[in-house]
Amino acid sequence: MRLEKCWFCSSTVYPGHGIQFVRNDAKVFRFCRSKCHKNFKMKRNPRKVKWTKAYRRLNGKDMTQDSTFEFERKRNRPERYDRNLAENTLKAIKKIDKIRVAREERHHSERMSGKRSKERKEAAVELEQGIHMVKAPSVLAQDQSLTLPKIQVRVSQPQAEKNQPMEE
Amino acid sequence: MAFFRNLGRSLMGGLGNNLSGLSSTSYEMTCSNFLSQQLRTFIQMRTVLKVVDNSGAKKVMCIQALKGKKGARLGDTIVASVKEAMPNGKVKKGKVVYGVVVRAAMQRGRCDGSEVKFDDNAVVLVDKQGQPIGTRVFGPVPHELRKKKHVKILTLAEHIA
Repeated sequence: MRLEKCWFCSSTVYPGHGIQFVRNDAKVFRFCRSKCHKNFKMKRNPRKVKWTKAYRRLNGKDMTQDSTFEFERKRNRPERYDRNLAENTLKAIKKIDKIRVAREERHHSERMSGKRSKERKEAAVELEQGIHMVKAPSVLAQDQSLTLPKIQVRVSQPQAEKNQPMEE
Repeated sequence: MAFFRNLGRSLMGGLGNNLSGLSSTSYEMTCSNFLSQQLRTFIQMRTVLKVVDNSGAKKVMCIQALKGKKGARLGDTIVASVKEAMPNGKVKKGKVVYGVVVRAAMQRGRCDGSEVKFDDNAVVLVDKQGQPIGTRVFGPVPHELRKKKHVKILTLAEHIA
């Protein structure tokens, strides 16, 4: 039994799932579900499809290099069965998984680190521009604390007369 | 012609909205992509298969699928008639031969629950005893042949899928 990787989305294909497609040049493509298979038939490049692991790794959304990935390399040599070895391997798998998840979390939080300050700045700009949607201008005029600082605009007389026919 | 194909599909898929005006051209393009996803079926009478050994034939047409009411699948034997052959080969055009299906576009379930499918329909010509006529086999072959006792073909193959 072997856990394969889906060619399109890089998720694991467990036994009993998915379809294998063998092309005439003897290249085997494994797919985890029909979604990936159909995307392959549409000739979509997984590096351009946003939800695949290939895209995420390429665009820095997920970790690319880490020592925990070394443990998942494909080995073609069968090991002689040894109960101790099997037990230790199972324990190690759990530990490595935990470490990998922790590192990915850290990578994600580092990526999102400037988010809060950026959101606050954007919110301040939006409040300044859209205050008229929150409170009516007449209320703003009466209550001085709600108004924004006034901006002086110089308008010459002939231009003001021209504007009136346009409004009608 | 593409328009009539779209009508045929719309009966099944309820794609009535693609006939309306502006978005129709772009929708027809995506419809033709979906039309290329065919449902692959068995190898039956009149199916033309590619011959992937060096017995001399190039294309054979299936006459009968031995075993199977609906048709032959991956690993089954068929009776076929040679439709196209190389000028100097062991088999000539018009000869009736037996063949073993080594690649089928229809997916076949494996014992671990997964499914395999190939790119085309291909056959290796054999004699009545099941021994291959040619001496070489091209392209990948499935290891379903081992269960069907076509060991000779497996040994000749260059890649076992």
